[in-house]
Amino acid sequence: MFTRFKRETQRVFLDAFAREKLEYESGKKLTLILSPALYWVKKVKLPVKSVREAKSLLPSLFEDELLAGEYSYYAYKTGEEFVLFAYEDKKILSLLQEREIAIADIDSIHFAQSEFEEFEGAIAVNEKQALKWQNGLLTLVPLGWIETHEALNLEALTLSSYTIKLQQFNHIVKSSSMVKIAALLVALIAVLAVETYIASAKKDAVALAREEIFSKYKLQSTMMQNESALKKYAKIHTQQNSLRKQIGEFLKLSLRTGETLTLIEFKNEKLFVTLEGISTSRYVTLVDELKKKGIKHTAKQNGERMTLEVKL
Amino acid sequence: MNQVNPLHIGALLLAIIAYLLFTLSSIKSELVEEQDAYVISEKVALELRGLKDVYGDTKRSESALSRLLAQPSIKSANLDVKKSKKSWKISTKSIDVKALDSLMGKILNGTYNIKELRIERLSETKASLMMEIVW
Repeated sequence: MFTRFKRETQRVFLDAFAREKLEYESGKKLTLILSPALYWVKKVKLPVKSVREAKSLLPSLFEDELLAGEYSYYAYKTGEEFVLFAYEDKKILSLLQEREIAIADIDSIHFAQSEFEEFEGAIAVNEKQALKWQNGLLTLVPLGWIETHEALNLEALTLSSYTIKLQQFNHIVKSSSMVKIAALLVALIAVLAVETYIASAKKDAVALAREEIFSKYKLQSTMMQNESALKKYAKIHTQQNSLRKQIGEFLKLSLRTGETLTLIEFKNEKLFVTLEGISTSRYVTLVDELKKKGIKHTAKQNGERMTLEVKL
Repeated sequence: MNQVNPLHIGALLLAIIAYLLFTLSSIKSELVEEQDAYVISEKVALELRGLKDVYGDTKRSESALSRLLAQPSIKSANLDVKKSKKSWKISTKSIDVKALDSLMGKILNGTYNIKELRIERLSETKASLMMEIVW
């Protein structure tokens, strides 16, 4: 049931020399078979066991044959030998563009080398060229060199699993560099994510500790209420300290014989003090003495009575 | 066969980085705010507890005043004490100066919230007193 929605495929031989426009049904996916003109191939024995090991040697194995350009490589093993490929993604992509083949319509891309192994004779691919096996490698030869040839029938092929994926963006940045940059960015993302997580956890811990302060000290629910209460008590504290200090200062006044302190009254945040037996000259002296002590007051004299008022 | 443009992947990664930087920055500033709020809360809590213990603790104030008024030198002055939930009014029309000194010395050296006070000299040895202490 899962293959029910799979789009049908149409096989196409991608020939660099064909001039006619390729026509394919819309909605169908294409299976491309690359002409030998689109890749370099070698069949060699290598002192390695796996294809993965062989792939790492590919750039140096092709080093002497290839012209300057950006190449991708592919390899598979057949018997004791490795079949090695080098191809230019850009060249194939240009050809696809020339033939008006959309990348999205391509299902898979194969090398002719790996797909025509069952055929021994020559196969004509266009008006001038044919595919022909020579020393284990499938090559393009002029039609005039061969006596008999078969027509190209792609539907008769049993396709292998050896396929490639074209690197469309190699011209922007090399795959290896791309992976390095991406790895760096991903690492940065990881670092930032961890740091964000830690900062968030710290914030939650501080918020929890703050809530604990509220319950430990039985604070009211908002800081505004607590600050208001603190302000009220701080005012009481300041005022009471001031009251005690001012009373102390008045009691320390150096009064002469006949001079008496007759009243101390604290009411409505004001301290009133009355002194009796104060002459005019003593009034002035006492006012100066209080000023020197830094007591801000208002003083009045009525006969020998001196009244002082201090706002606390 | 369609491949994702590496520039798109790069842009996506950079967008994620920008988002994380923004998130981190806002969380860090929230953390600083939270830490500041914690310091302020702790300071307010400690100061408030200290002041409340002194001026807002009814039981402590009442028991301290009761002990003070029960002292022989002050008890003998026969002070008139009117008690209410929020305050005590202590008064007398005439008190010996020595008893007054003893009482006021202890009141003024203690941490009582004196709302009203009136001490009037009556003679060399006598004075009248009216005082209201609240909590």
